This record gives sequence, structure tokens and C-alpha cells, in this order.
Amino acid sequence: MSEEQDLIEEDEELDLSTLPDDELVLQMHDDLYDGLKEEIEEGTNILLSRGWSPDKVLSEALVEGMRIVGIDFRDGILFVPEVLLSANSMKGGMGILRPLLAETGAPPLGKAVIGTVKGDIHDIGKNLVGMMWEGAGFEVVDIGINNPVENYLEAIEEHKPDILGMSALLTTTMPYMKVVIDELGNQGIRDDLIVLVGGAPLNEEFGLAIGADAYCRDAAVAVETASSMITQRRESTPAIPQAAA
Amino acid sequence: MAERNKRGRSGGGREARQAARSEPVTQGVPYITRKVPVYEVLDEEGLALIENNAETILQEIGVEFRGDVEALQIWKTAGADINSERVRIPRGLCKNLIQDNAPAEFTQHARNPERNVRIGGKNTVLVPAYGSPFVRDLEKGRRYATLEDFQNFVKLAYSTPYLHHSGGTICEPVDLPVNKRHFDMVYTHMRYSDKPFMGSVTAPERAQDTVDMAKVLFGKEFVKKNTVIVSLINANSPLVWDSTMLGALKVYARNNQACVVSPFCIAGAMSPVTVAATAAQLYAEALSGMAFAQLVRPGAPVIFGTFSSSMSMQSGAPTFGTPEPQLVLYIVAALARRLGVPFRSGGGLNSGKIADAQAAYEAANTLQHAMLAGVNFMLHTAGWLEGGLSMGYEKFIMDIDQAGMMHEFMKGVDLSENGLALDAIREVGPGQHYLGCDHTRTNFETAFFRSSVADNNSFEQWEVDGSLDTAQRANKIWHKMLDDYEMPAMDPAVDEALLAFIQQRKESFPDANY
Ligand code: B1M
Repeated sequence: MSEEQDLIEEDEELDLSTLPDDELVLQMHDDLYDGLKEEIEEGTNILLSRGWSPDKVLSEALVEGMRIVGIDFRDGILFVPEVLLSANSMKGGMGILRPLLAETGAPPLGKAVIGTVKGDIHDIGKNLVGMMWEGAGFEVVDIGINNPVENYLEAIEEHKPDILGMSALLTTTMPYMKVVIDELGNQGIRDDLIVLVGGAPLNEEFGLAIGADAYCRDAAVAVETASSMITQRRESTPAIPQAAA
Repeated sequence: MAERNKRGRSGGGREARQAARSEPVTQGVPYITRKVPVYEVLDEEGLALIENNAETILQEIGVEFRGDVEALQIWKTAGADINSERVRIPRGLCKNLIQDNAPAEFTQHARNPERNVRIGGKNTVLVPAYGSPFVRDLEKGRRYATLEDFQNFVKLAYSTPYLHHSGGTICEPVDLPVNKRHFDMVYTHMRYSDKPFMGSVTAPERAQDTVDMAKVLFGKEFVKKNTVIVSLINANSPLVWDSTMLGALKVYARNNQACVVSPFCIAGAMSPVTVAATAAQLYAEALSGMAFAQLVRPGAPVIFGTFSSSMSMQSGAPTFGTPEPQLVLYIVAALARRLGVPFRSGGGLNSGKIADAQAAYEAANTLQHAMLAGVNFMLHTAGWLEGGLSMGYEKFIMDIDQAGMMHEFMKGVDLSENGLALDAIREVGPGQHYLGCDHTRTNFETAFFRSSVADNNSFEQWEVDGSLDTAQRANKIWHKMLDDYEMPAMDPAVDEALLAFIQQRKESFPDANY
């Protein structure tokens, strides 16, 4: 009992602003791991106030912290509800950094629109993918379930994402992913987007056959694929000033 | 069957015995009638607590009926409080609607009346697995299912005496256009089997097509007065009914056909992680769905269907054959009995990828608990693999072997003179053996269940036989069953009418893959 109290007191006493930079960053890795959103927001602000560039806060404190979370999720040490809290904390930090990053012209980590296709209401997997993407620092617009092609087009128009993610769990609805991809082609915007698809009844072959850029078998793969494909694209296309976006 | 030898003794010698012993058993009982009591895990107080919480959920939180204006109107007229799509239902209303109208038991007719099944009460109907996009067997591995696979499984389900029903979407024939494959699936059930079957639910017009095909098969008047289709209507837990499912439910209920009103949930994502809370939420959802069916058509047969699974909190994947969902199953089965409606749950559920030990023991866990709990309609009895993503040929055979054992178990204990067999014990006396006594000679053939899959031989014999594992032995069995399959007869005029109906409907709109 008294030990527990000691711990609580220790927690209360921890004043992030008293920590030197290197220790603060390590503490933020722990706080991300423990899903402490307010502490992450506080830490982010402290580092910024000490003159850290938003870019550096992002990569050294947040992205690195979430990388560790990702590893322990993969290895079965962290559970889904815990990762959800971590992702939320990441989202908190990103909320502060995103406008600053935009000002400096640094490319954002990535923006994704994700939704389950028309006729399908399965969303547990899609929600996990969205959560993991947020954890990786992406800005995620979740358009929910049962989406006709118009919903995807509207969301793309409005949010200008790097990635379009589609989920389908029914063999009766997965062909609809092709309807969406074909329509992107008709509208001449297919190549502006990385299209990733997932859902248990799909497989790699199906993903390629319908013209997606990749099939993602689970949420962790969705993160890896999204990150690597965004990097690849940015390397292969010369940076164009994204004034309009 | 081999001819009797002509010399005339009643035993008939080797030829006759060989013929009798190699004859496959195809004609079993039309369904199981249990003589073993149900097992329960909660007492009166516990069950009442869950019922009370379910009523609180309906009244205070409510259930959403999404994308269906008519449904909201129906609920409003019935006295529910409607706010946007949220329907809050006064305490006791659902229960009264169900108890005043829904049948406690009903018969689903098959085209062969000997195969009619009685759903509810002490009866259990065993049904193949449902919904897999993939199939798997030892030769060809895992692949998308086709119509041929679908036909194969209908043939296998027809050929075994241990399944009483042909099922529904046994596997999804992805080689056919999405908006037309239901015609071929329903026709396959009707033509390749004479057992009862399930209808299409993926769109209201597909449900209507199923009803119209049933009218061709059974006659319009017959379908009006009798239940010939049972269909699976899933809730979208937590606390949502979606327009697709509501649309199909309305079509079937209006036609007096049965719906398995099923909140199926992965606890942790779709319901709280605890057993009691999951049971209360499932019960509330089922009450709202079954009561809705009664509002659409008073007296429409419904089956309280549910099964829950737990979730791997480390990945989000559904898990099967684990202990907590079995507790939920026992509770919900008891609630269905108290309410007075038939109950669906169970099946050979598992997360195994192949027909291995995991697949077998997880399946056995669910099958046995479901039987003891008193399930009346056991969907997913045979074939299920990979959390429902794959239908296994070998697994199908392993599961029907278990189904056979459940038939025997449910017969309970024979307390007749023959069962008690005091005479045999007198005859043999101390220190002798029973192998040759009268009682054994009269009873040995049927005394013990004989598994067609298990190998009980010595190690050496097993080795001589090729060292086959369970799946390899099951593989031989399903091949033989398909080779031996004979299509049940059908009046050619009816067959033609069915095919004509299908052709006319298929031609009336273009193929689409959504
Ligand atoms: C970039 O974008 C990406 C990237 C990766 C992506 C991605 C998107 N989306 C997913 N991923 C990937 O990452 C995720 C995380 O690792 C993974 O996501 P998953 O979704 O695979 O995994 C989740 C974490 C957990 N898995 C799940 O959530 C799905 C599990 C199963 C059991 C399942 C569930 C839970 C449900 N169901 Co449905 N359901 C089944 C499923 C069988 C199965 N084992 O998959 C399946 C898919 N269902 C099926 C059926 C038949 C149906 N279901 C229905 C309803 C439901 C529930 C509502 C009860 C519920 C969904 C609840 C919800 N909110 O999502 C009905 C349809 C409703 C509709 N209109 O859509 C109904 C038609 C049943 C009925 N007759 O009422 C079957 C498919 C049939 C077919 N034709 O293909 C099915 C295989 C089960 C079965 N054997 O019947 C990856 O796939």
C-alpha cells in the first residue's frame, strides 16, 4: 500500500520541464508507451520552447517512441487497448506539431483516407489500421462503413490524401474496390494516390488484380507499406511546392 | 447391394456380411431429440439479473435501426421512443411481442418430407458451416471457393446421416457474379440435396428470389402456410441493425419464413470483455430483432441466434473454442428457453488454418458445450476453419464424425432390461469375459459409436496402413463420398420450372460484382 502511494507521489512529482533534453526524450518514449496524452503534449511543447525544430521533435521524440510501441505490439507485449492509448497520445503531439511543420514546409508524414466499401459494415480491422496509422503520425480521415464511390471521391477532393485505404470483408463487396479504383482512373486521379487495400478474404493476388498498389494483410503491414510507399514516391517525384494543398 | 448367396441359409455367409458392413449409413434420424438434460451455469437470480440489464439497455440506451425508415415507423407505432435512428423500447415490450406471437417450436419443411426438421424444444438440427470465401483440401490447398466447391459440400452434407440440413452459404462461389450467385446457390441446395436449406440475405431482392424459388419447388400455397426457408440475419453489435439485414428479415418474415436473429459478437470489440455484460447485450439485441420480426408479421418464426467469440487483445483477431464464450453460450441458451424460442449457436468453431490439432480441439470444445447447453439449430457444425474464412474438406469429415458421436450421446442412458443387462452379468459371472455372451452377441454392432476417421489400431498396423494422420484419412473419406454420391430424384417438371425461373431472372438484369 505504502509502496503504491510512493509510486503515485513520485509520478506527481515528476516535472517534465526539469528534465534535460535527452532524459525528456526518453521520458516521452515511456509516456507514449504508457499512453499518456497530456504528458506527450506537455513534452512536445517543452521541447519546442527549448528551440527544437518541429521536425526534430517529431522524429526523435514521437516517431521513435511509436517505433518502440510498434515493435512491442508486433511481439505481443503490448495489447490493442494500450496501443490505442499510445496512438491517441501520438495524435495529441501531432496536433501541436502539424501546423508548425506545415509552416516550415517540411513534408507531413502522410495523410490517409480510409473506409469500408459499399454494402459492407465490417469495420473492426479498418479501425485498427486507422489507429495504427495515427500512431505512425499520419493524419487519418476515417469515412466509416458502407461507402459508395462518391464518398471516396468527396473525401479525396476535400482532404487530398497521399493514401486511400479501403477495407472489405465480404467476397460480395470486395469487387467494389475495383469499382472505386477504376473510377479514380476515369477521373484522372489514380496516380495521385497510393491505394492500399485489406480485409481477411482478400489476398495479394486479388489486390494486384484490381489495380491496388498493395494488399496489406494486417495493421502492422499497413503501416510499413504506407510509410515505405510514401517515402518511395517522395524520392521518385521531385518536390513540387504544395501551395494549393 | 450384393445379392444373397443362393444356397439359402439365413446368415448369408461372407458375401452378405461384407455387403451389410460396407454399406454406408446415409439415412439417419431427421434431427436429434435429446434425452440428456441441459447444463446451466447461472441460477434463477443470475439469469434474472441479466434479463433485467437487457431491458435497461433497450429502454435507456436503445438500439439503432439504420437506413430503414419503415422500421422506425413500425417501432413508433408499437410504442417505442424514436430519436433519429435510435429506438428506445419500453421495458417488457419486446418480451411480450415475442411471447405472444413467436412459435416456441416450428417445423422447417424439406422437399423430402422425411427430412423435415423440428426446430426448438428438445430437438437439435445440425447444419454445415456458413460463409467462407476460401476452401481448403489436402491436394489443392487453400483457394477461393467456386460453384463446384459449393456443390461438393452440398453433396457431402446430403450424403452424411449426421447433418440434418443442407445449410446456406456453405462457401462463397466467387467465380459467379455477385448479384446472381444466389440463384445457383439456392438451386444447388434444392437440386443436389433433399434436406432443408437456408436462403440468401445479402440484399432484400435476393431474399425475395429465394422465396420465389421456394414457391416453384414447394408450390405457392404450401409456402404461404409453411416454413421452408431459414435465414441468417446478423446484428451489427453493439446495438445496431443495418438496412441490408433488416431488408432481408422483412422479406422473410412477411412470407412467414424463419429468421435466425443473430447478434454474433467478438467480445472486446463488439461487446464488453466480460461474460455477463456480453450476455446482456446479446440478449437485448436479439430481443429487439425478434420483436421487430413479430411486428412485421405476428407469428413469423424466429430463432434466437447468437454466438460470441473472444478477441485476441494482442492483435484484434477473433478467437474460438476459448472458455469465456462457452459461458456466454450457456447463459444465452438458458435465456432463450425462458423466453420460449428456439436457440441457435455453437458449431465446430476454431482458428486453425488446417485440419490440425488446434482445429479439432477448439471445434470439439464448442460442439460439446453447445450440445450440453441445448442448442436447437447448430449452424457451423461441419467444415469451419480459420475463424470462418475457410471451409475445409477434411475438417468437414472430422466434424461430422463428432456430430455422429453427439447423436449417440444425446440418446442418453438406456434403462430398459436390455440396457441394465442383469442377465448378462448373471450369465458370465466373476472372472470370465463378455465377448461371447448372448447379450453382447445381440448388441455389439450398435453398442458403441464407431468413428470413421479415428484410427484405433496398433502402431504397427497403423504403419502398415500407410502411417496416415487424421486429415489424410478424412481425405479418403470425402473423395469416396463424392464418388458414391447419387443425386436425389426430382420431378423433371419442377426442375425445368426452377431452371426457367432462374434463366428469366438472370436475363432480366446485367451481371454486376457488387
Ligand atoms: C489499407 O487498408 C486496409 C489495410 C488492412 C486491412 C484493412 C484495410 N481492413 C482490414 N485489414 C487488415 O488489418 C486488420 C487488422 O490486422 C485485419 O482486419 P480483419 O477485419 O481481417 O480482422 C479484424 C481485426 C477482426 N476480424 C473481424 O472483425 C471479422 C471477423 C468475422 C468473424 C466477422 C464479423 C466480426 C462480423 N460479421 Co461477418 N464476419 C466475418 C469474419 C470472419 C473472419 N474470421 O474474418 C465474415 C467476413 N463475415 C461474413 C458474413 C457472411 C457476414 N458478416 C456479417 C456481419 C458481421 C458482424 C456484424 C456480425 C461482424 C462485424 C462487426 C464489425 N463491426 O465489423 C453479415 C454481413 C453484414 C454486412 N452488410 O456487411 C454476413 C453476411 C452474415 C449474415 N448472414 O448476416 C463471412 C464472409 C462471407 C463472404 N461472402 O465473404 C465471414 C468470413 C464469416 C463467415 N464465415 O460467415 C486485416 O484484414
